[in-house]
Amino acid sequence: MNGIFAVVFLLSAALCLFLDPDAFLPALLSGGQKAAALSLSLLAVYCVWLGFFQVLEESGLAGKLSRALHPFSRRLFRSDDREATYLATSNLTANLLGLPGAPTPLGIKAVEKFCAAGNRYAADMLFVLNATSLQLLPTTVIALRVAAGSASAYDILPPTLIATLLSTLIGVLLVKLTAKRRKK
Amino acid sequence: MKYLALIVPVLFAAVFLYAAVKKVKLYDAFTTGIKGAIPLIVSVFPYVAAILMLSELFEASGFSATLTRALAPVFRVLGIPEELSKLVLVKPFSGSGATALLSEILNAYGADSYIGRCACVCYGSSETVFYISAVYFANVKQKKLFKPVCIALFANFATIIVGCQLCKLF
Repeated sequence: MNGIFAVVFLLSAALCLFLDPDAFLPALLSGGQKAAALSLSLLAVYCVWLGFFQVLEESGLAGKLSRALHPFSRRLFRSDDREATYLATSNLTANLLGLPGAPTPLGIKAVEKFCAAGNRYAADMLFVLNATSLQLLPTTVIALRVAAGSASAYDILPPTLIATLLSTLIGVLLVKLTAKRRKK
Repeated sequence: MKYLALIVPVLFAAVFLYAAVKKVKLYDAFTTGIKGAIPLIVSVFPYVAAILMLSELFEASGFSATLTRALAPVFRVLGIPEELSKLVLVKPFSGSGATALLSEILNAYGADSYIGRCACVCYGSSETVFYISAVYFANVKQKKLFKPVCIALFANFATIIVGCQLCKLF
């Protein structure tokens, strides 16, 4: 990430020097401003879901869910860490259900736990699953299509679903292929 | 699609009811959970800020426009309509930027046109890879993001190529 950041930043800065030096600082400031605004709205979202997840945990439901999902998640993430796999599978479930904002806090904690246990494979797998879009219903797209006066806003569901599934498959396969063999 | 609006309230009500039956102190549990929100946002903030600054700079410097022009012929060969090249480039960096672009494309070409439908599939089947990598790995010391980010970018890009073909079929 350091490399990508450096390359994109330096090339952008160089172009700025030639094309429009005045645009440099305002661009950075506007990014910072967006980050501040986004963080406030994310804070609100995290409050709601972290509160909810705590209740889920204390009720004992979380433990039941994690036991039920463990055989599946153990294979997917190659991990025996109950808590981490529970967080990871809940992240996937929240993604599939399209609960806005709910997957993120779960995902951050799961990746943290996987990495702390040295299980880089699981962390990469969870990230790639999240970064290849798992959403079953692209609500934003449909809303925008309706707003733009589409006659059949739901028409794009089949190609989008096939495409999403494909990207997830490619991602999972590549993570599996590039992973180092598990030590016996 | 009305039943979708029911998922969240039903989920909350069911879990809270179950917890109440199990004699969980709801108010205490809920507030304990919320307490975790502030440290979480603090740990994520620097990465979100850096990525958003980068994406603004990428846009404002004309880098994104230059890259769009340079890549348009490549995209054409791969079957991605030129009109979408900017969307394809912006999406990994910024969700809000991509949303604005999608809305522009839909209004310019029509939501039911081939370009419009392609744009929807591209948008709906890809993710903000850089942003997600920044957030998900915020609490990890040894980042080593190159491999997973490349995999995710490749998977998203390959899917966009296929998606544009799928739009001709459906």
